[in-house]
Amino acid sequence: MLFRILKNSFLKRPKAVFLIFLSVAMGAAVATAFLGIAGEISHKMALELRSYGANILLEPSAVEGGGFLREEDLPKIKTVFWKYNITGFTPYLFGVADFSAGGKKERGVVSGTWFAKQLEVPGEDPSVQGIKGIAPWWEVQGTWPEGPDEAIVGATLAKRLGVIVGKELDATVHGRTQRFRVVGVVTTGGYEEEQLFAPLVTVQSLLQKQGKVSRVLVSALTVPMDEFGKKDPASMSKDEYEKWYCTAYVTSVAKNVEEVMAGSRAKPIWQIASAEGSLLKKLNNVMLLLTVLALVASATAVSTSLMASMAERGPEIALMKAVGADRFQISAIFVGETLIISIAGGVVGYLLGDQLAGIISRTVFNSAITSPLWLFPTAIISALVVAIAGSVAPLRRALLIEPVKVLKG
Amino acid sequence: MAETIIETNGLTRSYGDICALKPLDLQVPEGEWLSVMGHSGSGKSTLMNLVGGLDRPSDGSLRVGGEDLLALSEDGLARFRREFVGIIFQQHHLIPYLTAVENVMMAQYFHSVPDEAEARTALERVGLGHRLKNRPGELSGGEQQRVCIARAIINSPKLLLGDEPTGNLDNKSTIMVMELLKELRAEERFTVIMVTHNQEVAAWGDRTIYLDDGVLVREERMNS
Repeated sequence: MLFRILKNSFLKRPKAVFLIFLSVAMGAAVATAFLGIAGEISHKMALELRSYGANILLEPSAVEGGGFLREEDLPKIKTVFWKYNITGFTPYLFGVADFSAGGKKERGVVSGTWFAKQLEVPGEDPSVQGIKGIAPWWEVQGTWPEGPDEAIVGATLAKRLGVIVGKELDATVHGRTQRFRVVGVVTTGGYEEEQLFAPLVTVQSLLQKQGKVSRVLVSALTVPMDEFGKKDPASMSKDEYEKWYCTAYVTSVAKNVEEVMAGSRAKPIWQIASAEGSLLKKLNNVMLLLTVLALVASATAVSTSLMASMAERGPEIALMKAVGADRFQISAIFVGETLIISIAGGVVGYLLGDQLAGIISRTVFNSAITSPLWLFPTAIISALVVAIAGSVAPLRRALLIEPVKVLKG
Repeated sequence: MAETIIETNGLTRSYGDICALKPLDLQVPEGEWLSVMGHSGSGKSTLMNLVGGLDRPSDGSLRVGGEDLLALSEDGLARFRREFVGIIFQQHHLIPYLTAVENVMMAQYFHSVPDEAEARTALERVGLGHRLKNRPGELSGGEQQRVCIARAIINSPKLLLGDEPTGNLDNKSTIMVMELLKELRAEERFTVIMVTHNQEVAAWGDRTIYLDDGVLVREERMNS
């Protein structure tokens, strides 16, 4: 009988039912779309944020390695547990040199590094590592070095030495001199403008530090730090440590890298890591807030439609009460209607939201997305939440209807 | 002697400053057909609503079928209505989107379990065996009222309340409905309280009470 009442109630009031269905479906669609692209947005934003610089610094530990790291260990960085999160890295070897060019002399820092090194690691996909990848904001006037005797000079140092692109410059360390052809002048806005950057192998030879590097900057995709992530791993239980290690906190990725670089100590660069974490957290909060607002708007629309419908159905409810329906039986009818509409609205909302998420992803990020499995139940639950929240006030009004007032006359 | 099914003592119903029913003492024996007459606003519908558990008194006591209606909760009154009372309204009040048989089954659903065969039989008893699948909008006023009667008797109530049940019907339909009620009462042995302002309709009952401005002013026993 309940089914007959519900079926006939729907068929008799198609416009009102459609309006409620539409409100629920729109709420579920927006929630599906926002939640569907939230993960994608976080991932894309994290990738974008990587252009702000490396977030992990690898240095020689105080007790091991004799003040240097080994270049031969560098490929191992692409073999660690979090290898797919490491978007790039570059080694540096620093030394103080006397520069001379066109009769001018200056003392400064010579940096050996990788610019765009093709890295082949057995069993792993080939990749290109170096400054070009992890410091995309560097502005090079000229070109990046390609040959062993080519270098780029920081803008401040170039000005002091009076060198421009195409000129030659000598760097002397402990009596050994290396001539570099300046192929670019680099502007970074930082201390790098005081340095000369040349291929690592050339600077190793000049400094007589073959196979050695002073530090490595690593750029990794990480998740925002939370209270658990900030805990000292040394104080964690085995299960806690496992959970921490398997979460892409900047600290756990740093620890992961440290393990493969002999004699190293990995430190998060906190001003980068925390700024990223904060931004991603805010972004997630904004997405969540928008989703909640969309659901609230839908619930309000459902409530308004049901209120209007309830006014129209006053005599019907009063009659049901007059012939003996109690509050539970009246509620069962309205909750039944609400459940049917919300499940139908949830399914349609999910399908619409999935398409909407795809369109947004293609338009904004130029990439396709695959809906996670949890999105379908989430859409249905969102629809139920919208429908139930929207029907609380109308149901309350229905239960307060007094048959004697409505049926008189 | 029949037992008293309705007993009121000082039964009063006020709406703010307006007293719709002034302290009323009334006893109705089981099986009696009581007609309640009076002008508009005399308190007759108020009395029927109170006796049917559709409204609550402001003062006094009210016992129907041994139940103290003042002591019942909202859901308790709902249970009382579905188990004890059948109501026939002047304006029929049928659910427009349900068929005749579904309207009858709705009362069964709220009472216990809907039984379509039983609902069909009830409609056949009121002469609507050929209109089972028609919706209220497809029925005449008299037919709608007969559906209303079938719905009122489907749960075998002890008390049948009629609030001007023939008020919207022509003479022919009125007689048909009244004869039907008389037959059903003879079969089912329920008590009838019939509110009307039609002297001829009131004459179908065993006793008529007259209300004026909320006060019982006269009582008249009919010849059988």
